[in-house]
Amino acid sequence: MQKSSRTAEALQKKYKVGLYAIWGIVLAFFLTAPMFIGKYYVGFVTLMFLYCILAIGYNIASGFCGVTTFATGALYACGAYVSGILITTYNVPFLAAALIATLAAGLLSFVISLSAYKVSGTYLTLVSYGLLEIVTRIIVEGYAITGGSSGFHVAKWQIFGLTISRNAKYYIILAVMLGCFILQSNIRKSQWGRDFLTLKDDGIAASMLGINVSKTRTIGFLISALMAGVAGALYASYANFIAPESFNFNCSVMILLMVITGGSGTLSGPILGAAIIHFLPQLFNDNADLKQLIYGAMLIILVQVMPKGIIGYVKARFAELEYNLIGEKMSGDKEIDFAKYGNHDQDGPEDILVVEGLTRQYGGLTAVGDLSFKVKKGSIHALIGPNGAGKTTTVNNMTGIDMPTSGKVYLNGTLITGKKSHEIAHLGISRTYQHVRLIKSLSVLDNVVMGTRLARSYGLFDAIFHSKKLKKIDRENYMEAQECLELIGLGDKANEMPQNLSSGQQKLLEICRALVVKPKLLILDEPCAGLTESETEQFSVIMKKIKETGISILFIEHHMSIVMGVSDMITVIDHGVKIAEGVPKDIAENPVVRKAYLGERSV
Amino acid sequence: MLQTLAFGLSIGAIYALMALAIGMIYSTTRILNFCHASIIMVGAMTAYWCIGVYHLPYWVGVLAAIIVNTIINFIIYYTCLKGLGDLLSNVNWIITLFGMSVVLNNVARMVFGANQNPFPYLFNGASITVGDATVLWHEIFTIVFAVVIGVTYQQICQKTKFGRALRAVSFKPQTAKLMGISSNLIIQLCFMLAAVVAAIGGVLIAPTTFASFSMTTTIGLKGYAAALIGGLGDTKGAFVGGFLLGLIECIITLFIPAGLKDAVSFVLMILVIIFLPGGVLSAKIFTHGRSATEKV
Repeated sequence: MQKSSRTAEALQKKYKVGLYAIWGIVLAFFLTAPMFIGKYYVGFVTLMFLYCILAIGYNIASGFCGVTTFATGALYACGAYVSGILITTYNVPFLAAALIATLAAGLLSFVISLSAYKVSGTYLTLVSYGLLEIVTRIIVEGYAITGGSSGFHVAKWQIFGLTISRNAKYYIILAVMLGCFILQSNIRKSQWGRDFLTLKDDGIAASMLGINVSKTRTIGFLISALMAGVAGALYASYANFIAPESFNFNCSVMILLMVITGGSGTLSGPILGAAIIHFLPQLFNDNADLKQLIYGAMLIILVQVMPKGIIGYVKARFAELEYNLIGEKMSGDKEIDFAKYGNHDQDGPEDILVVEGLTRQYGGLTAVGDLSFKVKKGSIHALIGPNGAGKTTTVNNMTGIDMPTSGKVYLNGTLITGKKSHEIAHLGISRTYQHVRLIKSLSVLDNVVMGTRLARSYGLFDAIFHSKKLKKIDRENYMEAQECLELIGLGDKANEMPQNLSSGQQKLLEICRALVVKPKLLILDEPCAGLTESETEQFSVIMKKIKETGISILFIEHHMSIVMGVSDMITVIDHGVKIAEGVPKDIAENPVVRKAYLGERSV
Repeated sequence: MLQTLAFGLSIGAIYALMALAIGMIYSTTRILNFCHASIIMVGAMTAYWCIGVYHLPYWVGVLAAIIVNTIINFIIYYTCLKGLGDLLSNVNWIITLFGMSVVLNNVARMVFGANQNPFPYLFNGASITVGDATVLWHEIFTIVFAVVIGVTYQQICQKTKFGRALRAVSFKPQTAKLMGISSNLIIQLCFMLAAVVAAIGGVLIAPTTFASFSMTTTIGLKGYAAALIGGLGDTKGAFVGGFLLGLIECIITLFIPAGLKDAVSFVLMILVIIFLPGGVLSAKIFTHGRSATEKV
């Protein structure tokens, strides 16, 4: 590990020099460009910057939050028309008009993000498509105000009475674009960016990590919409003329294509994509038919051939650049042990978890019926039963992933039934899943860091401005995550992607993520499924160590040797009903259990 | 009034046919065919070229439309969907299908030109007069054809071996595979059926919208709206959604400008998506409180 990360550090230094050089050259070129590229291309590049802003915004909604929308055109139009009409018809100064227009676009985004509270995926795509059509119709039909399909002339662009020249427009829009880029970059590199990617990859895992999925997604959409609104307001004043064709379906498709080409979810992808897609039609003299045809074909081909886009493809070659070398920086001789995950909060009742009459029915089928049991504080409690007995359903109903038909669950004396998963997570339950739910877009270390967000987090403004508080908290979180990885034996895998680990390591990683939360109650759903014999051995040691720290554990397992070896108490269920409860020795000898669980003949 | 009603129902029948075809593909693949509108357009344009330009008999036009649509649907399946693997986890199909719809629309514009071409009504536009209302036979037969197609499809689903296989694939594709059903084949047959329905729908709508490359841009989204309002993948729902949408639109045009009528349909669609994601038939009064929750 020492050697590989040292190479990584050297490589990182080398790559960084190259990266800064490229950025420096590109920036220098565009800063000086208006002096030599001529009038036509100044306008051309200015428009490209506007598309960059739109693409960055779209990337936040789609690449980070994971929803394919076609609302970009609608939000862009909203910004342009609100600003244009305010400036021209009502003589509002540009800055005020642009601000109002941006907020209007933000408001419009709630149509989609509020729908996201109820539905997801394809439905959201349709809602956004519908929104786009509605906005277009309103613009065309409201011709008395908007000029209808023949377009709308916007007054000259003035700021504080000064008329903005062509070159000044260029620099203003470039500055806004750079602002948006930095915003995007800061968000991505903060806990908020990790939250976005987590909810994109796995909504259930995200909410059990304490992320309010709908709220976070709404914020992501809002940022995206505000950028589209700014771009619209700038466009109205830049072009002095706006018409519905500029904001139709084709516009949304083009922005989508820009992000796909550059690399959805990457930082510089949207900019590179916008540059390529904007320049492409120049190669065939801007032939409108051919342009759309090629755009459509590119959409079909690119997502199948290069789903991560150009930047994603390049980034895979230079993976070391993204490595987090916190493990290397940490002093190696510091003793790490489980004690620090200890739960010293011993207040509250004797039973950490009380389940009373939990029932879950699916139509006529009763998956769990009137189940009651208690988990003693600081104990290891096993929930066992044959396949289909309702074990996972029980756990899902306790953690807010599913809502019970009736019954109550108390955590440390607090009623948690009816609460949302993210609220339950904040109250002190963390869990793993029967089928691992790791975040594919994040590295192993980042996956574990997701667990630390419950204890220490920060606001959006800290993320946007990259505040001192953020640096401090992020550093602490990464240190802790790395320590936890070392503890569980995955320290050298910190910068791998989780899907490259073996299934046993993935299980361990998930436990690591649940442990770093420092929960009151740790729920493990079949932690040993897919583990080798030696890994199982190793795991039972880990479980005992976790218990010593004071964390209570409820676990579901089929592996009888580990159940009998580590549990303090065992509850056996079959067909959703509790058939036995007791210490391992009693359960092993209980004839009812043997019959239901092991089969009659094995007695 | 009767005239408005007949027009509303005939437009509704077209929406129902679109919703039905969208539902056919949805039921086996869990995807929304976002280029369905373009396929309808291609079918209608093919029929127009046979009937309007080369003066071939009407049925030849319809047959040609069916054949061309089937071929295009196969091309879509192989270029846009096959390469993506599991369509449930890889949602990039949204992008490829929209891309395909852009491609089809622009190819059609290059091949067929940008003209708005008149398309013949069934029975050369003959009509009957009931009281003071004139109703086209075309409108009546549009409704009849749609209902016949719907009932036939429903019967196929419930009575034939193919129908059972289809329902199996739709319910549990992996298990169906283990039972010896080629889900690939079933999915392709569904695409074929959808193509046939699209061709018929295209020929029936073309007289109203005129045959052009952009004939379905306005009504395109309505098909999804109808499908969602009625409940995705539900044959009965497709007709409920289609007729409901057609009637609402016709009644609403009496009060607001025609251009905003589409906006109202989309608002309706968004409201249904938000409040009744399973379609209006999933409302409590229809299900008598039975919930169909699936296990997480």
